[in-house]
Amino acid sequence: MTPNLEVHIGSLQLRNPVLVASGIIGYGIEYARLVDLDAIGGIVTKTVTRHARAGNPPPRVVETASGMLNSIGIENPGLEGFLESKVPILRELPCAVVVSVEGEDVREFCELVEGVSRVGVAHAIEVNISCPNVGPHGLRYSTDADMAREVMTAIRPLTTLPLIAKLTPNVTRIADIAAACESCGADAVSLVNTFVGMAVDSISRKPILGTVVGGLSGPAIKPLALAKVWEVAQAVDIPVIGMGGITSPADAVEFILVGSTAVQVGTALFANPGLPEACVEELGSYLRRADVASVVDLIGALDVPSERGVIRAGRHVLPRARRGSAS
Amino acid sequence: MNLVPCSVVENRELTPGNFLLTLKVPRGFTRPQPGQFVHLRVSTVSEPLLRRPYSLEGFVERGGIRAVRIYYSVVGRGSKALSSQPKGQKLDLIGPLGIGFSPRPRRMPILVAGGRGVAPLLFLGRKLRERKRPFIFLFGARSSRELYGVRDVRGGRLHLATDDGSVGYRGSVLTLVKREWETGGHTPLNAEIFTCGPHGLLHEVAAFADAHGIRCEASLEGPMACAVGACRGCPVPLHRAAAGNGDRYPAMCVEGPVMDATVVDWERLP
Repeated sequence: MTPNLEVHIGSLQLRNPVLVASGIIGYGIEYARLVDLDAIGGIVTKTVTRHARAGNPPPRVVETASGMLNSIGIENPGLEGFLESKVPILRELPCAVVVSVEGEDVREFCELVEGVSRVGVAHAIEVNISCPNVGPHGLRYSTDADMAREVMTAIRPLTTLPLIAKLTPNVTRIADIAAACESCGADAVSLVNTFVGMAVDSISRKPILGTVVGGLSGPAIKPLALAKVWEVAQAVDIPVIGMGGITSPADAVEFILVGSTAVQVGTALFANPGLPEACVEELGSYLRRADVASVVDLIGALDVPSERGVIRAGRHVLPRARRGSAS
Repeated sequence: MNLVPCSVVENRELTPGNFLLTLKVPRGFTRPQPGQFVHLRVSTVSEPLLRRPYSLEGFVERGGIRAVRIYYSVVGRGSKALSSQPKGQKLDLIGPLGIGFSPRPRRMPILVAGGRGVAPLLFLGRKLRERKRPFIFLFGARSSRELYGVRDVRGGRLHLATDDGSVGYRGSVLTLVKREWETGGHTPLNAEIFTCGPHGLLHEVAAFADAHGIRCEASLEGPMACAVGACRGCPVPLHRAAAGNGDRYPAMCVEGPVMDATVVDWERLP
């Protein structure tokens, strides 16, 4: 029996739950010869901003212990440039396309959501309210539940596409922000964006990144990310898209077990472009080994002993099938 | 450009800390141009996490076997991991990548190398010799020990400089460049510069070229994450005029690593 890997994010049907995260794969074309786009669920584009951005001064990336710090600063051609030069590329991709957008204020978010929806290339929009590298407004909308509500409320009526709010882990209670997005019409939340981090050169006594601080990704953050996904999955009924340090195919299974409906592969793809495809394969073989018919039955299927019995990670998932029948 | 498996044929420490690595690549591997690079997985474990970009010192074709050569120094975690990969070790690489040196220079090529930056210029020198093109090769290093590959420079006129004076001119290769320009009868119409080395040296060479109106291509070096133009992690700062309307950062990986040295804003390039 071929296990069913199909999942739904709002009205978006994904043939499997493995996406490539924003900022990793550009607009797909850059990696077309290295990543099998036919095999994966979809890609999330580089974030589009209202106006073109040159990005931050170098250095923008530095490798740290089992991780990578970046301060790219959303270098992108802006909405008009995106519509003109990137949309034709995206139309040719053989997988779902989630377009990531980021505005400096609510009006820009609205213009972006309208502009992207109108052109009809996106299968969903990821609302990046969590970039740590674009100045003070970057983290404003996802560190304050009221401001997250303000953005989501404003953009919700402007599109019928699924809206995915991308959250920062750099908050005290991420579940509150997720719940705020859910209450204002988000179809899903994706998390985590990078953790704010820093690298220092003690010889020169200078920060290594041009912007002093940046965002940490890679295997170093996986345990942190799993905990955030777990926390959010218990707090909301909408699907959670989990990411943060997925480096081996088994990591994707872990994110689904703690409550992710889909996962995004990020930094590790730079080292291993075959990773997203390997994650799809591993999910299939994991389901076969566990004798589970559908990946949906795996979502939040983590066994957590507690005084009240077993806690389900994701409340939005209905009956759990055949748990415990693993051979 | 493809992701291909490769295996270590030889990984030899020539002088303390400096290695010559030969990697066998598949038969179908695209013939690289001098100045192009490969993005190499330096170990089989996930630490270090990222690939490392290495400019090619050469490309070997013998019978049906193809191999790339990399000359590298141990400077950090990536190169340290690479230096411990034994003969026969299977790795993989993405390549060939980037824009190399102009393959058919129209003017007399003056090659200017600093330290391990000699690698892509040795590759270029060999290509020029194959095409029976004369060239001038100016090579500076800290000491004679680091003058890698000098015996391999054939078909060109070679001048050496060392900081410690152990071989050749005592001082910077930049002086050799100036001297060559003053005494060689060159003009911007009949000669051009191809350079690779520490960015400080490239900055000086670029400034000299700019002041004299000489065409100058430099091969840049820097950290890269994707190396295929997707992540925008390797920006090259340009002078205002070259950046055009507002700031623009070409990605070193796809618009370089070889670039017009006179448009690069070396002050802002780490």
